[in-house]
Amino acid sequence: MSVIDESFTIKASPTKELFIYMMTRDIPLIRAILDLVDNSVDGATRLQPGGDYSTFWVRIECTEEHFAISDNCGGIPISTARDYAFRFGRPKDMELTPGSIGKFGVGMKRSFFKLGNKFTVKSTTSTSKFVVEHYVREWLEKPEDWHFKFKVKNESLKNVPEQKIGTQILIEELFESVSKSFGLGNFRKELCDEIETAHAVVMAKGLAISFNGRPLGKRTLSLYKSDQLKPAFIEKRYENIGPAVVKVQIYAGISDRDFEKGGWYIFCNGRMVLEADQTDITTWGGSNTTPKYHPDFAFFRGYVFFDSEDAELLPWTTTKTGIDSDSGLYKNVKLEMITLMRPVLDFLRKLAKERADVEKGDIDKSLLEESVKKAESTNYLDLKDKGAFITPKFDPIPRGPRTGRIQYNKPVDDIKKLKKILGVTTYTAVGEKTFDYFMRMECEE
Amino acid sequence: MKASYEKINYNIRAAKCIERKMLCESFRRLSVFGKIESYNYVGFGSTYFSDFSFFHKSLDIRNMISIEKDENNKDRFEFNRPFRCIKMEYGSSNEILQKLNWDARTILWLDYDGRLNQEVLLDINSFCTKVTPGSLIIISVNAEPGKELGTRFQKLRDAVGHKKIPEGTREKDLLKWGTAKVFRAIIYNEIMQILNGRNGVRSQGNKLCYRQLFNFNYSDGAKMLTTGGIIYDEGQRPLFDRCSFRDLLYIREEDEAYHIEIPNLTFKEIRYLDEQLPRKQGQTLTISGVRQADINKYEKVYRYFPAFTEANL
Repeated sequence: MSVIDESFTIKASPTKELFIYMMTRDIPLIRAILDLVDNSVDGATRLQPGGDYSTFWVRIECTEEHFAISDNCGGIPISTARDYAFRFGRPKDMELTPGSIGKFGVGMKRSFFKLGNKFTVKSTTSTSKFVVEHYVREWLEKPEDWHFKFKVKNESLKNVPEQKIGTQILIEELFESVSKSFGLGNFRKELCDEIETAHAVVMAKGLAISFNGRPLGKRTLSLYKSDQLKPAFIEKRYENIGPAVVKVQIYAGISDRDFEKGGWYIFCNGRMVLEADQTDITTWGGSNTTPKYHPDFAFFRGYVFFDSEDAELLPWTTTKTGIDSDSGLYKNVKLEMITLMRPVLDFLRKLAKERADVEKGDIDKSLLEESVKKAESTNYLDLKDKGAFITPKFDPIPRGPRTGRIQYNKPVDDIKKLKKILGVTTYTAVGEKTFDYFMRMECEE
Repeated sequence: MKASYEKINYNIRAAKCIERKMLCESFRRLSVFGKIESYNYVGFGSTYFSDFSFFHKSLDIRNMISIEKDENNKDRFEFNRPFRCIKMEYGSSNEILQKLNWDARTILWLDYDGRLNQEVLLDINSFCTKVTPGSLIIISVNAEPGKELGTRFQKLRDAVGHKKIPEGTREKDLLKWGTAKVFRAIIYNEIMQILNGRNGVRSQGNKLCYRQLFNFNYSDGAKMLTTGGIIYDEGQRPLFDRCSFRDLLYIREEDEAYHIEIPNLTFKEIRYLDEQLPRKQGQTLTISGVRQADINKYEKVYRYFPAFTEANL
């Protein structure tokens, strides 16, 4: 056909509505906010790869009217903003931030669309400055025009004072459900918890995050350690799975007994993607040939850190709320996790049994429990010894003969008669003496 | 409950004895991968150590480890240890297999008294997670269908967990040798699943493969299943081919089992048949009054058939 016949064209281009719907539907509100925090953290990582974050801060403000996040993490260069930051998806030619946690080029936009109708982004670097201000509803009304526009743009700044460098994002005209959530104290608490856990690693390296003016606390990831009791720790490097190396560190051991907190914690480039997992996504039951999570295992903690310059190689999902369990790398690491976990579970089973025996009175004390009490809670960063989980070795405590309890009812008159004959005053003594009598007369040879 | 070594003298279980000899014959072919003497052998020797004795004498394997869960009778096991080269490891196989070093090529025979359950799968897991290519794994379990009708599926699920049961398995699939068939499939899946995990990061051409070699069924009072095979690296494929395991008549790479059947014959009959074996082409073996089926069974296993004098005296 030489002439293009419009009637032969079938429309297949996406509508903006579908786009927004698809993008925002699968992400919980809290995660959308975490994505914005991730962008700030990436900014800091770009400036201080792997190192000290103590000069950086991120401030979050969250009210029923607006949401704001600002940071001093370097700002967004104009070229990045123009060609990449606001685009949907990450173009193949874009240079990656080594060790970044922003992976798919959807985070920031998705968060804007999830939260409200108006967003403003102001960003200043050492040489440039821009402002983008947009109303989502207006943008939707122009189906063919996908672009955003700079409101202010200056690419030739000089001597920008350091305190001016950074990014400020403001989202207003919040959607009703978002605004309502932001008004709830428990939602805000949950959000703070999630930020604290998700960024425990960078916060431990000095990044200060505040929420409505209040600094968020540091979470420590720790394991019990003593001379006799040592957590498992291994480190592996995977060099053949992609253009960059993936480093994996796995720690497994015991910590405070807490049913909710027991399980695996998985981090990708320092960002927690799985918290206290107790399912077969990690190593519990299902097709893993391992036991299901259980109260006896509430002491268990495992920490897995995947790190790579190339974030694409890490086994996380786009929402960073989980692990891509089909990843070949993850499947392999999971075998290592199982290997490290099993001796810990064996130990915890023995511990539970000893505690039960103490309760029954079969043994006086649990040596294993004492060894756990003697161990000190130690930050994972201070655990340097590599190897499998080491447990104290004790010879089994000798048990007395097993005893059982007999209880029965008999006519009171008969018991009284026996009391007299036996010369005792209690029912218990009647039972014991008659039992002893029978043993002596009928069972001894 | 008594341990099975107290109930059964392993030396005189004929089918087991035949199986042991068949396994041993096939082990010899591993020499393509590395000297058979250099292999490790790990098993459950019990007090009889029949497999240990036989493999040491036949193959000169010297790195031998016997795992013994009965920690209270150490003296008895030490006393019965037939050769100095057998090392004892006391504890449950779940515990010990995790601790052993699997860097050298190994023949592991997990010869359980009991049925397939979570613990068995865990042992398979411990080994396959670490195993060196060129190693063999063999698993024997009791595969007698549960006695109580209508509860077999439920019991299987309780024993291994529902996610381990092959798709489409029903109560009726667990009749007769059906239980053995399902057990074999579960074991096969387990090994493959672990190797898939290890292969996730291995490059093309270096992936680990599992090739089933054994799928024995026999009855020694109860129906028994022995299955297993070799784990090698794709690059070792030519070595595997050179082993020509397939030339051995009892090698079974699929789910169809090889049945070891014990003919009912007297010594005189056995001697008479031996004189005419291996059979000339076209010749038929008969003894008047002896069922032909027994003679045919004997012909299949005569090279491995135990004579009473072979009992360890």
